[in-house]
Amino acid sequence: MGSTMNLLIGLAMGLNLLALGSGRLSAIIRATAVQGVVLGVMPLLLEYTFDWMVALVALVTVAVKGFVIPSLLRRAMRAAKIQREEEPLIGFVPSLLLGAGGTIAAIAGARMLPLLPEHAGTLLVPGSMASILTGLILLIGRVKAISQVCGYLILENGIYLFGLLLIHSTPLLVESGILLDLTVGVFVIGIIVDRIQRAFDSLDTRKLTVLRE
Amino acid sequence: MTTGELLLGAALCLVLGAALGPWFPRLWLALLLAAATGALGAALPMLAGAGPPEWEWRSAFAVGGEPVHLRLDSLSALFLVIVSFVGGASAVYSSEYWSDDTRPVSAPAGRLWMSSMLVAMGLVLVASNGLHFLIAWELFTVSAYFLITLERESRAARSAGWLYLAASHGGAVLLLGFFAAIAARTGSWDLGPMRDHRDLAPLFWLALFGFGVKGGVFPVHVWLPSAHANAPSHVSALMSGVAINMGIYGMMRFSGWLPVPAAAGWAVLGLGAAGALLGIALAFLQSDLKRLLAYCTVENVGIILIGFGGALVGVSHGDAPWGRLALAGALLHVWNHSLFKSLLFFGAGSVLHATGKREMSQLGGLWRSMPWTAGLFALGAVAVSGLPPLNGFVSEWLVYLGLFDAAASRGSAAWMLMPAAIVMGMSGALALATFVKAGATVFLGAGRSKAADDGRECGMRMLGPMFALGSACLAVGLAPVLFWPAISRSIEAWRPEWAVSEAPAPIITLGWVQAALAAVACVAVAWLWRKRARNGLRRAPTWGCAYSAPTARMQYTGGSFSGIVASWVPRISGFSRILRRPRGPFPSGATWIEEFPDTVLSYAIEPMAAIVLRVSAATRRLQHGRLQFYVVYLLSGLAVVAILVWIGVKQ
Repeated sequence: MGSTMNLLIGLAMGLNLLALGSGRLSAIIRATAVQGVVLGVMPLLLEYTFDWMVALVALVTVAVKGFVIPSLLRRAMRAAKIQREEEPLIGFVPSLLLGAGGTIAAIAGARMLPLLPEHAGTLLVPGSMASILTGLILLIGRVKAISQVCGYLILENGIYLFGLLLIHSTPLLVESGILLDLTVGVFVIGIIVDRIQRAFDSLDTRKLTVLRE
Repeated sequence: MTTGELLLGAALCLVLGAALGPWFPRLWLALLLAAATGALGAALPMLAGAGPPEWEWRSAFAVGGEPVHLRLDSLSALFLVIVSFVGGASAVYSSEYWSDDTRPVSAPAGRLWMSSMLVAMGLVLVASNGLHFLIAWELFTVSAYFLITLERESRAARSAGWLYLAASHGGAVLLLGFFAAIAARTGSWDLGPMRDHRDLAPLFWLALFGFGVKGGVFPVHVWLPSAHANAPSHVSALMSGVAINMGIYGMMRFSGWLPVPAAAGWAVLGLGAAGALLGIALAFLQSDLKRLLAYCTVENVGIILIGFGGALVGVSHGDAPWGRLALAGALLHVWNHSLFKSLLFFGAGSVLHATGKREMSQLGGLWRSMPWTAGLFALGAVAVSGLPPLNGFVSEWLVYLGLFDAAASRGSAAWMLMPAAIVMGMSGALALATFVKAGATVFLGAGRSKAADDGRECGMRMLGPMFALGSACLAVGLAPVLFWPAISRSIEAWRPEWAVSEAPAPIITLGWVQAALAAVACVAVAWLWRKRARNGLRRAPTWGCAYSAPTARMQYTGGSFSGIVASWVPRISGFSRILRRPRGPFPSGATWIEEFPDTVLSYAIEPMAAIVLRVSAATRRLQHGRLQFYVVYLLSGLAVVAILVWIGVKQ
């Protein structure tokens, strides 16, 4: 049980690096979607006995993160007619190195934390911290709005992973609230991306600095 | 009616006046005068000894979480008298000077802010809770800002207002620290005598500079000249005659209630001496009439501080009797300065009203068209120069007496107090020179511009307040004994050990001498008048060295008076001189401009402010609108917090 979970988290960490290293937007969206599915099934593995509520959470998470949000993003991409990422602020190789360094730091840092004995052996905490760092690097290093959304999603995946530690204490309502927020957020961004593209002929967020006050 | 009812009535009148004043000018004036009368009715019996020595009111009603606690004692009553008297006078003055007919927009606003400033000053005087004191202080600061910037279309007034607001808030920060420290050490915001709390003594330095900013104490007076010069004249009178004294009230009040450090007296004395001398030297150099008066305020605050510092030194020298005299001089000078300085600002305002000019080099000869204003200005000038038989002499004489007695006592204090007396003497001489220059340039000679020739006397609502202030100056000058009870009671409120009942012998003698001098002066004037009436008067043009086309501009100007002093102090005053000499046999034009900016402002405050602004502008660049970098800030902030937590856990 523990080893399967560690395997999945390791997969998610690999997907983090993939998202950091790829230049095409569609590849980043795909990596994010796969990570969402991988992490979505995680609650089922944590449980020794079958629980309807946890199953429902897993199902909805997989559906939203693996399918609804990616399809929204792809539609936005199609509508705005953008295919590839251009001129990132932090290059792909430096991003990868930063991500790898962050992952190592996360594993090292997690050892210093006073965790419960049943969580100490798993990759849950390091995986969550690595995902959060990856999401932040994407937010910092990319200029296109859509790849920033992906960074945001990966960041959220990290938070979700951390929340798994508390899955029994977290009410269903909170989980579904987070998911709803995310979906609506991405939906809105999808619309905004289209508008920005029409208004400015560009999705470069560096140019959106007029309203900074 | 009791003191409390009178004060409540006055406050209600002012609040009502603030609410209705913008629309009903006459009602506002009536309410304000009623409020002034009420406040005088509460304060005067207390000072005269007819009423209770102290009025105190505690209520369970809480404002800002603190129960209301008000207190009026003789010291605050002394200041309440000038708030009401000068406040009422400038309200009457403003009804003609800044009327709705000429200023339809700013006159209603001026009425609102004047009521609010007066009520705030009254609250400052009666508040006996640190938090409420600060709230009243802030209301007072903000109201004064709006009054200074009444003439909003003038760039100079706006920038003077900003400078005032910035300086005031610098002082307010110190005061916040002061009251918060008292509250932290005593466990309550409640104020009152706490002389046995020895650990509160160092807080005096916070109070000295926190109140000093408002009080125009020398190195932190920087806002004062431009604010007083650019505000409307009735506001200048209010600021210079009353608002400045709120700072002095704060210093006196809290040096009386709290213990003071041993060096406090020397520091106050030093600041006072520096302010008296440099203030009047800068006043002498000014060419703008109102700016000159503003610097003269710095000088008078210096004199008050010399007396006050002498009193503090006296306290630290075992309650020496000369400390009492110096304090009496300082307290009386608070009244006197308030009376003659508002009179002078009203005079300057009348000149400005009649001619539209403040530059003395464009005025002149106004005594013919404005004889009353000229006479009253001259009265104020005599008083401010500290000449007998007027009030300025009485209070300065008391301060001198205190300093001389200290010198005669041959203690360790003598060596320091003697130089203070010398500095005061020098500043007195310079004050005389300054007002000879101002009076002569503005009122004597021939008009230097068309506006000066077209001047006409102002109406009764402007002259009336000036007459009232002038007669008060005369009364204090001729019968100082009458005012002694007020002073002695305030001294008692400041330091109960110093209670004295009967007037000291010098002040009784002084009263007779002053009255005799006044009588001699009256006789001399009457004799001259008769002689003139008998012999007639013959007017002839000034001999112009046979130059055939003289103009009125070819007169001695204020600049020619101050030129000598200007040549002594070019380096410290930082003045600039633009000179274009006439050239050739038929010169087309020539220029001679001298400017004396404020030394402290241009050499100390402005460079410091420039550094602060540069740092702020550099910090502002962090807010560029790029999301990516904002996330970096977030991340680094998070990392710092994490490191701090980690270090904390390790310890």
